Amino acid sequence: MDYLIFSFSLMLIYIGLAQLLHIQFGLAGIPNFGVVGFWGLGLYGTGVLYVNYDVPLVPAIAIAALIAAGAAYVLARLILQKSGQAILAATLAFATIVALLVISEKQLTGGVIGLGTIGYPFGDFSERNVVYGGILIAVVAALIWVSARLRDSRLGRVLIAIRDNEELAASLGKDTAATKRMIFVVTCGLMGVLGGLSAPLHQFLVPYHLAPSLTFAVWIALVLGGKGHNFGAIIGVFLTFGLFDILIETYAPVPTEQAILLPNFKLFCYGLLLVGIIMFRPAGLLGEDGPHTRSGRDTPRPAPEPAPKES
Amino acid sequence: MSLLLDSVFIGLLQASPLILAAMGFTLIYYLNGFMNIAYAESVTYGAYFAILFNVVLGANFYAAIGPSMLLSGVMSVAVYLAIFRPALNRGVGPTEMIILSVGVSFLLRYGLVLVVGTENLFLNEPPIRYMTFLGLGATNLQLAALVLVFLVAGLLYWMIYNTGLGEQMRGLANNQELAMASGIDPHRTSVAIWFIAGCAGGLSGVFSGVFTQVTPYMGWNVILITMLVTIVAGIGSVRGALVASVVAGILTAFITLVTKPLYAEVALLLAFIGVLTYRGARTA
Repeated sequence: MDYLIFSFSLMLIYIGLAQLLHIQFGLAGIPNFGVVGFWGLGLYGTGVLYVNYDVPLVPAIAIAALIAAGAAYVLARLILQKSGQAILAATLAFATIVALLVISEKQLTGGVIGLGTIGYPFGDFSERNVVYGGILIAVVAALIWVSARLRDSRLGRVLIAIRDNEELAASLGKDTAATKRMIFVVTCGLMGVLGGLSAPLHQFLVPYHLAPSLTFAVWIALVLGGKGHNFGAIIGVFLTFGLFDILIETYAPVPTEQAILLPNFKLFCYGLLLVGIIMFRPAGLLGEDGPHTRSGRDTPRPAPEPAPKES
Repeated sequence: MSLLLDSVFIGLLQASPLILAAMGFTLIYYLNGFMNIAYAESVTYGAYFAILFNVVLGANFYAAIGPSMLLSGVMSVAVYLAIFRPALNRGVGPTEMIILSVGVSFLLRYGLVLVVGTENLFLNEPPIRYMTFLGLGATNLQLAALVLVFLVAGLLYWMIYNTGLGEQMRGLANNQELAMASGIDPHRTSVAIWFIAGCAGGLSGVFSGVFTQVTPYMGWNVILITMLVTIVAGIGSVRGALVASVVAGILTAFITLVTKPLYAEVALLLAFIGVLTYRGARTA
């Protein structure tokens, strides 16, 4: 039971990350391949502050998220206005740098031995992991709600305009560079928050957590569900992490000698799913989420929509 | 002075698999305009083909190099025809192509793991002799690898800059319609390029396998550095890939000699981000 709660909590973290990636890539068109780097800065930042400097968990998460946002700001200044492939390579390199530094700075992070233990932010009682799961549900639900609102806000439309044609958006007087930078820094900072929230789940941090497989798992989930759809991230994570890591690994009757191959089989299936979806349904299972207009969804409107006043 | 000479020599030895990988990677990138992450598996499969010939079938290591390289090239073409060409024809965008190639990479890598398992394997090395060369110690295997890598690199270089195939490739990469109008068969040229790139990757895998060990993750471990070297060198520039991988190898060797190996990697990655900032990903 405890394991199931742990898996579900981890799944919520994945949904949160995929939702943030939906904002970055689905809306703003920034291919961030360094998800695990920002998440990892939050994770290890929280761990180091909590274990080595006795900072309580909540402030530790806040500081770690600020560190992640700061790193995102520097990276954004350096490469965000370059081509997509340059951003992709640089963010991937950034995530590798984070993982390497965690291994090499032993006096802070414990290196390959690990860092721990990180407790829950409240007292020790038997149902604390359920309560913590509840907190995660609230955080991720808020994230999804904000990103759903974002899409139909003025900022969201600017982001979509930037994704589709940055020069055009700039010619309409939008400061596209600053907007992209702002959204990148905020979403990466939130990835850091999710990393900090993962620290009590993992309890004991090892550099293995920072392997690029996390980035790819989140990307696969997002592409599978539909990168441009607000619920694509949720569906994608359910179909990958939910299906394989929870359902199959917990309930499938696999003989012990084959169980060791199961994670490899899972990644093989991820690959198969990803190839299938891009070949036959490149917009993802849910497809592109059109603008929400009063006359219905997914219908292009000839006349410009009046800006919504409030609500 | 000896530190400098040491780092140049160690750097060249370490860079030799990277040179081949970067050259192959850059060709596909240039021709089809996307970063093929699944190229990592050309490297891995090259090493496993060598295991097949060298360990399972018991052939001499040098005799196993050729067939492993060719099989790797065939596999590269098969993947291109089965997956990447249909995807390109459907008009999948460059970022989606990269994600697709990640999927293909997972498919090939974990398919391999399901067949051969995750244990590290070792190639049967030919008898090792230590030699001194300009006052530097090296084994005959390392020197043979170095010579062979530079021979193949030279051959590739000549092929791209001095033959019809190279010209056709550059024509196709720059303007496909114009190239087709001038009688270039895009299908034949692409197959040839994917074959050559796969061969280069396979050879790179054979050499990194014999110097260390053969694992299903070996290609994946070098793909980031290959990608960065290619981007910094200028996409499609075989010449640039050669220079950039040699520089990367020497730089890593030098920093490793003066500090910790991990810092060498960090410094190298920071340098790459710096170059990207300064000039972005530019086509040669």
